[in-house]
Amino acid sequence: MRKIRSSLGDLSSYIFILPTIIVLGLFLVYPILWSFLASFKDVNPILLKNSSLFEVPGTFAGLDQYMQAIDNPLFFKSIFNTLYFGVIFIPITMFASAGLAILVNQKLKGVNFVRSVLFIPYIISVVSASLIFMFLFNGDRGLVNALLQNFGVTGPNWLSSTLWAMPVIAIMHCWEKIGYFMLIYLAGLQNIPKELYEAADVDGVTTFQKFRLITWPLLGRVSLVVSILLIIDALNIFQEIIIMTGGGPADSTITVPFLIYNEAFKYFRIGPAAAMSYLLFVFVIVITFVQKRIVDKRLG
Amino acid sequence: MKNNKSILTILLWSTGIIFLLPIYWLVISSFKSDAEITQFPPTYWPKEFVWSNYPQIWDLLNFGQTMINSIIVSITTTVLIVVFSTMAGYAFSKKQFLGKNILFVALIGTMTVPPTVLLLPLYFIISKMGMYDSLTGLILPFSVTVFGIFFTKQYIDDVPTELLEAARIDGCGELRIFFQMVVPLIKPAITTLAIIMFVQNWNSFTMPLVLLQSEDKFTIPLRLAMLAQQNVAVPWSHILAANVISLLPVVILFLSLQRQFISGIMSGSVKG
Repeated sequence: MRKIRSSLGDLSSYIFILPTIIVLGLFLVYPILWSFLASFKDVNPILLKNSSLFEVPGTFAGLDQYMQAIDNPLFFKSIFNTLYFGVIFIPITMFASAGLAILVNQKLKGVNFVRSVLFIPYIISVVSASLIFMFLFNGDRGLVNALLQNFGVTGPNWLSSTLWAMPVIAIMHCWEKIGYFMLIYLAGLQNIPKELYEAADVDGVTTFQKFRLITWPLLGRVSLVVSILLIIDALNIFQEIIIMTGGGPADSTITVPFLIYNEAFKYFRIGPAAAMSYLLFVFVIVITFVQKRIVDKRLG
Repeated sequence: MKNNKSILTILLWSTGIIFLLPIYWLVISSFKSDAEITQFPPTYWPKEFVWSNYPQIWDLLNFGQTMINSIIVSITTTVLIVVFSTMAGYAFSKKQFLGKNILFVALIGTMTVPPTVLLLPLYFIISKMGMYDSLTGLILPFSVTVFGIFFTKQYIDDVPTELLEAARIDGCGELRIFFQMVVPLIKPAITTLAIIMFVQNWNSFTMPLVLLQSEDKFTIPLRLAMLAQQNVAVPWSHILAANVISLLPVVILFLSLQRQFISGIMSGSVKG
């Protein structure tokens, strides 16, 4: 009896974790399992309508849903589009936020003000930001085309162009996220002991060498972590697409998460949607795992 | 050296200006007349400030109701998140219970789950529980966050356990220890968490999109997004005015409490 008592631990702790268990159990853990089960069944909306809460209806379909997901001609297109987005978004955000963190870490006039300004795009909603950029990049009367006109260039109708729609969305996403990633770099920079720089000063080390020997290696380590966050962020790009282009023009901005959303909520192909979302999930896990191995190797 | 510094200052300020430009353009355009806003090339400062864009769009969209919905959802969710997550953070930090370590690892694991994995099952589960097309459906299912638990746990870890033991010996009840000792000690962290969660919920778009149907329940981001879809009927000046109204609360909140906000994000990123 005493043994059971002690393995249960502090009885009062169950009161404290009860809300968490209920809410996260029902609305986080159960959904994860639900999607997993649905990805192996031929679920359809009618079956779903009549099923109970703790039941994933439909007969077992093996890997059928996964095959259907891959067979979808938009599947590889969406991977390509997501890649296109990432190739623009990730490097720009990484270099800009690292550079700005170095800049903001200096004692310059107006540093605090600029730091706040950089952070504003991060705190406003994606919907707000999307509307702003739709207006800025408007083909007929947008500011961007007006500015280009000054240089004698006639700008395209950005968001209706299969070539330009995705880069505009990517640039907007950079604008939204740079402030946040700058803070992560800044936190890293401010963790460098001041004595390190002072010791370097005593030894007569030049500014450039200080940067190369102290700041640069640190930025490299932070960048490893930042890169994984950026990749995951790029793999989840979704809200901007719904608001700005709806996947168009000619499917050129359909990303993987947007395709999953469309499959589920527009075409009600629940099984393939669940299968696709799990393929994405597995991919994220693999990337996280590989990155963790690299970090451990470098730092360990 | 002196020259170097002024180059850096110029660089800093020009980046600031580039980042501010979209916001500037939004705000001044929201004061232009319909005629002026369609003009090309555009004017860089309104010829005449048209204040009426604001009341017009406010009435047209029934924005008062939308605002109230957003306030109800954001504030209630934030309060619940703060209370429930702090309670769990406390249990994970200072208490022993069955399955604690497994549960903690599982929670970390859930952080890599892409939001799209959850979208469809959440829609299904919330509907089955009778919360589809209701504000409750946007509040209760999201009243605990893993981020909130980790965030508060970090700070409760720093509260000396001896202090809590002493209170316990003096005969303090568990709930009293929590609410009268732990909570006041980590008040700054709780404020920070509340700000971050409020902003997140105020801006939330995907769940309302999936879970709401009737217009009188719409929250601000959803209403704004709908506006963009039908932008033939509503002039840009009005859409932009609605946009300014929608982001004003979070921008004011951020500017007045930015120190806490920024330090919260930074500590979350370093320790987490």
